[in-house]
Amino acid sequence: MPLPQTAHIVIRNDVADLAALTTAMERMGAEHGMPERSLFQLQVAVDEIVSNVIKYAWPGADAHDIEIRITARHDGVEVEIIDDGRMFDPRDAPKRDKTLPGQRPRPGGVGVRMTKQLVDRIDYARMGDRNHTTLTKLCALGPAASGGGNEQDRT
Amino acid sequence: MSKTALRMEDSHAGPVCILSIGGRIDSGNAEDLLNRLNGFLSSGEKTILLDFREVLYLTSAAFRVLLVATDEAERNAARVVLCGLVGQVRELFEMGGLLEAFTVHGSREDALAAL
Repeated sequence: MPLPQTAHIVIRNDVADLAALTTAMERMGAEHGMPERSLFQLQVAVDEIVSNVIKYAWPGADAHDIEIRITARHDGVEVEIIDDGRMFDPRDAPKRDKTLPGQRPRPGGVGVRMTKQLVDRIDYARMGDRNHTTLTKLCALGPAASGGGNEQDRT
Repeated sequence: MSKTALRMEDSHAGPVCILSIGGRIDSGNAEDLLNRLNGFLSSGEKTILLDFREVLYLTSAAFRVLLVATDEAERNAARVVLCGLVGQVRELFEMGGLLEAFTVHGSREDALAAL
């Protein structure tokens, strides 16, 4: 299968729709032979970002679409999350306050902190009235799935 | 084993209330876990052991629930203790900086011996 290849799904701003995203990610992982550990880490990171969008991007309870583009490349997988909610650059998210000895951390910021460690790159752009958040996980995709064995590709 | 569902099963070992958790904890079902934990606390349980051995996947929604439940337990003179954190799930606790935030034992047997 020639790369890059993009799968595209649209979900509503409803946590029940996260299951559709899981299915799409797993299908991509299987089709391109993504290593299990890389897929796991990318899935958690995507879940964190999309869950944040669902919870905080819009003030009311109206239905909105969230568009997700999953692109398999030779050197990894890129997931772009597009929403028309309020501007939010996850790279700017405030660092969690340092936990004092004997104190438990507060929940806020844990998801973003984890996301930064789970993927190799987080890119963000505001285009028109939309947030484009892109997570990149570098990994070798399976040779069988990406047309390996074709020695001409090496030159 | 379903990767998309959250499974929970409770049992008792003496005074310890054990909740075996399996499958997936995310923002779509974390509330179910919190409700279960609050139920234990309101029925007077004082030691709640959460066994994560069969958890395959979780997000920070799970951490939020654990932090909220641990606070609530303290208000009830109770405690929430974790065990069975292994592999990639344990790594997520490490990345979130949360391994030190909770009382964590190795296996369920280790936990029960210590409690």
